[in-house]
Amino acid sequence: MTRREPIPQGTLDLLVLSTLDQRPELHGFEISEAIGRRSGDVLQVEEGSLYPALQRLMVNGWIKGKWGRTDENRRARYYHITAEGQRELARKLSSYQRVSGAIAAVLQPA
Amino acid sequence: MFLAVWWRRLWLFLNRDRVRRELEEEMQLHRDLRARAMERGGAAPVDAAAAARRRFGHEVTLAERSQESWGFQRGDELRWNVRYALRRLANRPAYAATIVLVMGLGIGATTAMFSAVDAVMLRALPFREPSRLVSLPIVELPFAPGPGKPAEVRATVDLDGAAAMPDVFSSVAAFAAGRLNLPDVERPLRLRAAVVTDGFFRTLGVEPMVGRTFVKEETVPGAGTVVVLSDALWRRQYGARDMLGETILLDDQRYQVIGIMPPGFSFPRESDLWIPMSVPLTPATFAAFGGMLNWEVMARLTPGVEMTAANSRLLQRWAQAIDGRDRRDSREDREERLAYLRSSGAVRPLQAYLAGTRATALLVLLGATGLLLLIACANVTNLLLSDAASRTREMALRTALGASRARVFRQVLTESVILALGGIGAGLLLAPVVLRALQALMPSELAGVVEPQLDWRVLGFASSLGLVTGIGFGLWPARAASRTDPGETLKSSGTLLATGRRSARGRRMLIVVEVALSLMLLVGSGLLLRSFSKLMRVERGMDTAHVASLELSFAGKTHNATRLARIEAMLERLRRSPGVERAAAVSELPLSSGEGYAEPLDPVDGGAAPPSGSRGARYLHVSPSYFGTLGIAFHSGRDFTPRDDSLAPPTVIINETLARQWFPNVDPVGRQLLGHPGPGRNVHYTVVGVVADVREQDLASDVPPQLYHPMYRVTPTAFALVARGHAEPAALFAALQNAVRAVDPSQAVGRARMMDQVVRESVAPQRTNALLISLFAALALVLAALGVYSVVAHGVAQRGREFGIRTALGATGGNLLVMVSREVFVVVALGIAIGLAGAWAGARVLEASVYGITVHDATTFVIGPATLGIIAMTAAVLPLRRVFRVNPVDVIRSE
Repeated sequence: MTRREPIPQGTLDLLVLSTLDQRPELHGFEISEAIGRRSGDVLQVEEGSLYPALQRLMVNGWIKGKWGRTDENRRARYYHITAEGQRELARKLSSYQRVSGAIAAVLQPA
Repeated sequence: MFLAVWWRRLWLFLNRDRVRRELEEEMQLHRDLRARAMERGGAAPVDAAAAARRRFGHEVTLAERSQESWGFQRGDELRWNVRYALRRLANRPAYAATIVLVMGLGIGATTAMFSAVDAVMLRALPFREPSRLVSLPIVELPFAPGPGKPAEVRATVDLDGAAAMPDVFSSVAAFAAGRLNLPDVERPLRLRAAVVTDGFFRTLGVEPMVGRTFVKEETVPGAGTVVVLSDALWRRQYGARDMLGETILLDDQRYQVIGIMPPGFSFPRESDLWIPMSVPLTPATFAAFGGMLNWEVMARLTPGVEMTAANSRLLQRWAQAIDGRDRRDSREDREERLAYLRSSGAVRPLQAYLAGTRATALLVLLGATGLLLLIACANVTNLLLSDAASRTREMALRTALGASRARVFRQVLTESVILALGGIGAGLLLAPVVLRALQALMPSELAGVVEPQLDWRVLGFASSLGLVTGIGFGLWPARAASRTDPGETLKSSGTLLATGRRSARGRRMLIVVEVALSLMLLVGSGLLLRSFSKLMRVERGMDTAHVASLELSFAGKTHNATRLARIEAMLERLRRSPGVERAAAVSELPLSSGEGYAEPLDPVDGGAAPPSGSRGARYLHVSPSYFGTLGIAFHSGRDFTPRDDSLAPPTVIINETLARQWFPNVDPVGRQLLGHPGPGRNVHYTVVGVVADVREQDLASDVPPQLYHPMYRVTPTAFALVARGHAEPAALFAALQNAVRAVDPSQAVGRARMMDQVVRESVAPQRTNALLISLFAALALVLAALGVYSVVAHGVAQRGREFGIRTALGATGGNLLVMVSREVFVVVALGIAIGLAGAWAGARVLEASVYGITVHDATTFVIGPATLGIIAMTAAVLPLRRVFRVNPVDVIRSE
């Protein structure tokens, strides 16, 4: 079993937005599973942080939630990204790439 | 964008129950799906559910964190915090009440004091461009012996001279405040009348509401029987009916109403009406006011002219006038006077001039309240810190149980805000009370011009200081909680390690500051109290007990003989009244006329003028037995009799000071003095008696040379009846009133006061000053004692374990007591040393306020620190009793 790592502080928003940007209409559990799968099961979404993050993103207007039904006919809130959210994703992404590039440069053995 | 975010937050808040339910449902689904996934991975169903829950974390915490992202503090959390804070405070009412009261005192006192200072010194006079209004103390008014006669040429700059400098003063005016009778059989009224030149209203820049003000022609001698009414008098007395052109009777003289001033205007001295002042002044002008008129000259600076430039221009003019005419003064005298005027200013801001010497006293008090506010803040800080120390564990426990830091922070903040608001509320209630107490300190010249109002800016400032203190230090426990590891704090059970050395040292420094500031206030209060008691014990030269007085004045045009007959009739009746033992009349009551009026004297037949001082003597007109009634001792000679009238050779009685200065080494009785009761008049007075020095002006001033004229020769128009007797004051007042009524029922009367009251009123500013500063000092003392007590008590509680071990190792209670006292003693002594240095340096500000002692009075500087030291050490020893009760076994076992 691969060792699971918690998601670094501040990147959860980015991961959620990017996940929803590629696959619209996911509910909370699906989002957490999708992030895990896409990271090859390295990243583990702390459920404790996921729902506060979703609430925060909704308040900011970057994602929207809509109640629907699962395959098993249970009520679930399906999230999708808004246009504003896509712009925010682009901003977050470029800033993330700058920072991680810089960090990588620092850590690179000379 | 932001608006949208806020809108969504509002929506979430309004629908918070539904939102919470939905979140709950969402999370439940998640947990179920997670459990299913784990089951598929091979876990037993029960374990899977538990693991899913564990992965999720604490449900309540999670819900809370999600809700925090909504941005709205939940209403019920706030309610809960408030309830909890109130319950905590209610459990410790002494703690809560102390903080609220201490903060309230600091805030209330500072606000009231500043409001008073603001009214007197800072707020602009309510006139047009008040900064251009100046007072011209060296400008004189021309004087003519009578209507139609030419004005005397005086060696000075007079009103016309100043008016002839339009490039410096755009307008110039003279004014005086007096009293006139409005005869009325039903209710005779004594009105405050201002006598003003035509430039008065123009200079101030005020316009009448109705009609007009005076023109130049109305200010020539003999003219000017017109009057301008105040809005207040017009409404009160005449029901606001159309009055223009009507005549009213003031002191037997008819005046035509030509104007009514707008509401609120009553300058100077809360005047009811204004009548023209004649230029030049004539004896008639003075006669209407009992021969006394204290006039002032003011001017408006021409735009673009600076105060200093105006000052040097006026002095230049003054020097020319002196050089041209006055041959009596020596050149040195003139130079000296000019130098003095240069330094003191011949042109002064009107406001500063009106505020006068009271400004200093108010500033001193403002400083004192500032100290009090600082002490109050230090004390509140101290209390909050000791509370914080004992709460560190509670905070650690809350954090360990899963409360977020923000949550703990908000909870502590709620309590601090409640305390601070309580303090501000108390300050709001106290400020008007203090302000009322300050009324006695307000200069009477400014009455009705600027009234002190509570200054909201200062209240805001003082309140923010309270908020900063309260909240800043109230948050200490939250800070400590976030700094320390809750596990460590909890493990160190009972020893309260979290309140480390640093906080203890900080609190000791606060004590040093409190002690030092309190000592400064204590010394200040000691100085003022001692000088007040000296003032009250000063030899007054009279016995004021059991003497009642009634002030009144005749209409200006009554005949000398008529006035005399009436006064005699009143005295006659008064002496026959039951309870009255002695009665007399005097032109001005002692201690109520200020500097009074003086006439120049010259020596007669080879006698010598006093080598030093002025050659003027203050004068009063008295009836026989005036000295006996007021208990003034006769040193030699006789009292006046009805035969000392205008037909007899003029006689005078003099006081000891005049006798000593003018007749050293000889008996003055029978000797003569050349007096000048009016310009150009020479009268030879024969001294018939010498009486003790009486503090006529005020208790603090040296007694000047004093002349007493018999009222049979000149009968004043304004005078006071005095009656001595052992009857109740009310009976004496009734006797006085009845005597006046019996002679003339339409005669208006002024103030009726016991002479003791007159004395008290004359020192009201000093008393208020001393009382307020003593009140502040007493409060400061209590606060300092409280501070010492709480620090020591807290320290003792904290060091229980140390004491236990020491006792177990053989230390006695006495040893511990000495050890702790020594530590406290060092702190208190340091505070006293700093306070003494501060008081010594700061005492200079009281220079003008002390009487009979120096500002570095040794007694005060010994007693003050001693008192403070004893009280502080007592406060320190009280909590030490606990040291004796320490049972070492209990203490050590409790670890």
